[in-house]
Amino acid sequence: MKRGLAALLATIALLASGVSIAAHHSFAAQYDSKKPITLKGGIARIEWANPHIYFYLDVADANGATVHWAIEGGAPSTLYRAGWRKDSAKVGDVVTVNGFLARDGSKLVNMQRALLADGRNLFVGNSSYYQKGH
Amino acid sequence: MPARIAVAICALLWLAAPAAAQTAAPPDMSGFWINQYTPDLSVVLGKQPPFTEFGAERWRTVDTAKDPTAICLPVGPSRGFTAPFPFILVQHDKMISIMFEYQAIWRAIYLDGRGHPDDLADYPYFMGHSIGKWEGDTLVVDTQGIDERSWLDTAGHEHSAKLRLTERFKKTGPDTIQWTVTYDDPIYFTRPWSIERTFTRGKPGDRVLPYTCNENNKDVEHLMPFQPNLNYKHVPETKKPGGD
Repeated sequence: MKRGLAALLATIALLASGVSIAAHHSFAAQYDSKKPITLKGGIARIEWANPHIYFYLDVADANGATVHWAIEGGAPSTLYRAGWRKDSAKVGDVVTVNGFLARDGSKLVNMQRALLADGRNLFVGNSSYYQKGH
Repeated sequence: MPARIAVAICALLWLAAPAAAQTAAPPDMSGFWINQYTPDLSVVLGKQPPFTEFGAERWRTVDTAKDPTAICLPVGPSRGFTAPFPFILVQHDKMISIMFEYQAIWRAIYLDGRGHPDDLADYPYFMGHSIGKWEGDTLVVDTQGIDERSWLDTAGHEHSAKLRLTERFKKTGPDTIQWTVTYDDPIYFTRPWSIERTFTRGKPGDRVLPYTCNENNKDVEHLMPFQPNLNYKHVPETKKPGGD
């Protein structure tokens, strides 16, 4: 767990430094690195598609109502090479997502970590495939 | 059209330059190669590139929500080789083809001695028009006619239609290629500048995977203006006696 936390903090530090995490566009044009969020809920749908995967969570709010959240992950090819498959998680699986809120106020989160009940960090890319750029 | 004539002359001179008596067969660079992910070229350079006043102002005010690849426009030759996606290089005597996973896009490098088309400025392409030659064991590629809508990196370094890329590919081992790229753009930069990256061979059986950018590009609906460099202060380079 300590390692996981250290990795999360390192990721936050990376994002806070303004370095983009995606090749597609800059992180900060879409997400706010000052607005971390944790969500727990059941997976409603998975979109294993380019340029980035999305999955959707049904999360109970304080009043017991169900709120539908969109979670954005990495590129399918990157995730595939890290060992993930489109059926690595199934509809109904409960997952705890740590990530950052979209700047436009929509119920959208860029995932940094998505912990399944069995302890797997769902759809976490293997950045070691690419040598560090700097 | 003096500009066109100048371009044609430059290309001819470039082709006529010492073709380094090619005796041995050039090294085989075919294969599946993995990029070094480089979202911000200035980090590798160790500083911002030598901006002109215009280039500096563009950098200061760049809005990264307007990244062309965010709306799935092609990546351009610079980002093709610096994004976190691999590519396949196919080498023939008269042509080298690069097939990039990122945006499933290609580059053709003509090695048959041709120059650049004289109407290239009227018909630019995002990946540019590339002609190459072997200088000993190094492949040297000259690329012009690069659509000015492409960016040089994810951080938001831009270029003009006058950008000229000179790339040098040199095998430094059976599984590594050293790629040196020089950016020459008199509109954005006061002088050419270069960075160096390494391509590493993939594992046997590695394959290029799909990158169909328009398939599910929901991000574009959520992009908000973001100008990270508004506090950038341009300090023009001072010329040292004797130059550098």
